[in-house]
Amino acid sequence: MTPEAIVRVKGLVKDFRPGLGRRKTRVLHGIDFEVREGEIFGFIGPNGAGKTTTLKVLMGLIHATAGEAEVLGHPVRDTAYRAHIGYAPESPYFYDFLTGREILDFYARLTAVPNASRAARVAEVLEQVGLTHAADTRLRTYSKGMLQRVGIAQAVVHDPSVVFLDEPMSGLDPVGRKEIRDLIVALNQAGKTIMMNTHILSDVEMICDRVAIIVEGRIAYQGAIDGFDEAGDKIFDVTLASLAPDFVEEAATRFGAEPTGRGDRVTFSVAEKHVGELVESALRRGGQVLEVLGRRADLETLFLSAVNDRPESDTRTEEGAA
Amino acid sequence: MTGLRLIQTIALNTVRDAVRSRVLYVLLFFSLVMIASSVTLAAFSYVERERIIQDIALSSIRFFGAAIAIFVGVGLIHREVERRTIYTILSKPVSRAQFLVGKYVGLVATLWMQLAIMAVGYFVICHFNGAQLDHRDAIAVGLIAVELSVVVAFATLFSSFATPFLAASYSIGLYMVGHLTRDLRSMGENSESELIGTLTLWLERLLPDLSAFNRVMEAIHDLPIPPVEAGAALLHGIGWTVAFLSIAAWTFERRDFR
Repeated sequence: MTPEAIVRVKGLVKDFRPGLGRRKTRVLHGIDFEVREGEIFGFIGPNGAGKTTTLKVLMGLIHATAGEAEVLGHPVRDTAYRAHIGYAPESPYFYDFLTGREILDFYARLTAVPNASRAARVAEVLEQVGLTHAADTRLRTYSKGMLQRVGIAQAVVHDPSVVFLDEPMSGLDPVGRKEIRDLIVALNQAGKTIMMNTHILSDVEMICDRVAIIVEGRIAYQGAIDGFDEAGDKIFDVTLASLAPDFVEEAATRFGAEPTGRGDRVTFSVAEKHVGELVESALRRGGQVLEVLGRRADLETLFLSAVNDRPESDTRTEEGAA
Repeated sequence: MTGLRLIQTIALNTVRDAVRSRVLYVLLFFSLVMIASSVTLAAFSYVERERIIQDIALSSIRFFGAAIAIFVGVGLIHREVERRTIYTILSKPVSRAQFLVGKYVGLVATLWMQLAIMAVGYFVICHFNGAQLDHRDAIAVGLIAVELSVVVAFATLFSSFATPFLAASYSIGLYMVGHLTRDLRSMGENSESELIGTLTLWLERLLPDLSAFNRVMEAIHDLPIPPVEAGAALLHGIGWTVAFLSIAAWTFERRDFR
């Protein structure tokens, strides 16, 4: 059963007008995508592709020119449903005269966290993002990584079911990136659906379940990250050795697998459904199984192909165009 | 969470933010200096020294109160957008109108605190220099408070769509014209041109009459302030505040925060 769509975007168009009398610039060209319940959804694309604009439309910070955008079944112009969502903008800014504890208390008040449990909830979230030690220090003394954590903390202080993150790892060192990544996975394991904007593909490969690639305001790809096999099967790399001379050719034909390798070692890339059969027949013919690896998608190839194959288009529209 | 509690939360945070503004303290300092210097300036006069003290002190309160209202008010919304602090707030269950009203209430509360400090300075100076104080002085200060609320409302409106420089220019312009609406009326009445008469009539109707809040003369010269007039000024202030904030909310609702 397909999980329920938590975010549904259909035919979303956004035009910006740089100034009076100047031509409109179309930054979103009727995009469609869905984020499903319980997943980590990566919204990826090069700089200026329209990722942040899309997220801002979903947050009600920017009004769409045309199309539909719903979160949890509510049109994004509603405000009441926002009690169930969290949003951490890119490079977040806060009232820096407040301490970490005070700023989270402020956001908790805005999201109606009950008075009786507010202090405990704030302390819990500070602990969760690893800021307990700096809880009573003013935000102006925080590092970029610490502010990034405050950004995530304020997004989850009211325990929302969906969390939107805009470039959550941007500008962080490898340690900081790993910590934020672990935090995102932990939030997902706690049952939250996560939509994450980013252009850092390695992060996406590590934690996302599905992705949409946006290029120049158009969705170039949307789907699962595992394999990208057209039939929807996960791809495995099976490395074998000591094979009979005719086995390689026979297996390649039988399982539709491209063999690669050198000397005694041959690696077959096969669909998940053929892995057992391939291993079994190799062993039966006296071969050795060295490694069976589920392949994470070659996201970079797909991403670059989406970027390079983008249609030649003029992103500017004439005055008055829809 | 009720809308009122959201507005209260935003207002309290605005007060905490506003009291850190250096402009506010500089202007407050100069207003207190002006109030205190009224004694020195009055010393140059042989007659009615007490009234001169009252005049200078109350006028200083009006002038510096309006200056604080404009210079802090014009950055009220713009700063939130510029610093991008608005992103995380509006992604919570807070409407743009609630945010705007919360900011407005917070700044008005801050201004009234400043006004209270200036009023204490005024009463102390008057008390120690033999100036007679009565309910008229309290009404005059009260109406300054109403006037400041209106000034903050139009500064908030301009801040909702313009840069601080432009918003300050518009606000200063409106503040000055707002004090001339009665003159506009008399200019139209005395004009022989029908066009000027109609134009000034419409301008008077379309602009707030800020001189309605000026009861300094009555306070100084112990002239009566009819309760009906004070009440009308209060209603005038409330009406214009609601009008300015409604237009600000309407404008703000349509903005994109890029």
